[in-house]
Amino acid sequence: MFSKTALLVPQCMQQQTRNMATLKAISIRLKSVKNIQKITQSMKMVSAAKYTRAERELKAAKPIGAGASAFYSKAEVTTPEGTESPKELLIAVTSDRGLCGAVHTSVARWIRNELQTKGDKVLVITIGDKSRAILQRLYGNNIILAANEVGRRPPTFLDASKVAQETSKYNFTSGKIIYNKFKSVVSYTTSDLPIFSLASVTAAPKLGVYDSLDADVIQSYLEFSMAAMLYYAMKEGACSEQSSRMTSMDNASKNAGEMIEKLTLTFNRTRQAVITRELIEIISGASAL
Amino acid sequence: MTYWRAAGLNYIQYSNIAARTLRRALKTEFRADAEKREESFIRITPWKDGKPIKTSSPSSSA
Repeated sequence: MFSKTALLVPQCMQQQTRNMATLKAISIRLKSVKNIQKITQSMKMVSAAKYTRAERELKAAKPIGAGASAFYSKAEVTTPEGTESPKELLIAVTSDRGLCGAVHTSVARWIRNELQTKGDKVLVITIGDKSRAILQRLYGNNIILAANEVGRRPPTFLDASKVAQETSKYNFTSGKIIYNKFKSVVSYTTSDLPIFSLASVTAAPKLGVYDSLDADVIQSYLEFSMAAMLYYAMKEGACSEQSSRMTSMDNASKNAGEMIEKLTLTFNRTRQAVITRELIEIISGASAL
Repeated sequence: MTYWRAAGLNYIQYSNIAARTLRRALKTEFRADAEKREESFIRITPWKDGKPIKTSSPSSSA
């Protein structure tokens, strides 16, 4: 007797999952997908608003970065060869927030490739939790500074100068700021800005094109340009992050829409099937009488 | 050696103090907007051997 029911139970469960219960399950699923779509749509609206602001601010910040990097190219600053124990500094400009496509991973991947070849001679500064989270597991020993609480608000010059201030406490021979350069709403490229130490700037061959430079001026300018370039990179990063979030949320909403369409179709089909089956049961029951 | 460097500041700190003073000196209608650029929430933690150092140095506000 018991063995018979034990045999029957799984069978009737199977039947349920095939018909009746799926109706309920599909409707629950449908509801949750609809909610997800609402969330992604509103996230898209929010990031669209943030993006327009970020782009406006980026336009204002562009000359700052261009001016700082023009100095290095005009003076032809290069890292001196043959220094004992060269230390390279990499600054990853990302943010705390996710759900924005591959902006953070592409910065982290750039650094990972660099670390794979150069190993422990590289110091890493991560701006934003995302790059830290990606790099800390494999290359935690390389991280010397981690900045967070980035990305909630647009970056300010004070943010950049705080990072530059902390960075100046470490010695390095050459360095790079890795950030996402904003190209258009749908595209960005991961690029780098070179940064140099005081020693390599004073050894630059064409420093003579600049007038009235003494050691103090160079040092002050170097401190300032560090903050300026970080500020510029953070602005570029913030702008590409918002634009990337906008497109990825748009895609997510589109995908959710597709899923909703499919689910509604299956929902209606299943409902129809259930009704038909019930009718068949009733009719065949009636004809059996 | 300039006087502010002798006092232990570097150029970033020096110029940020100057900027702050300038913002405070603005007329009220421009001041509210300018003061928004003065806020900073970034938090910096030094790391060593793959772990954050607990006793974080007081974040040097420039």
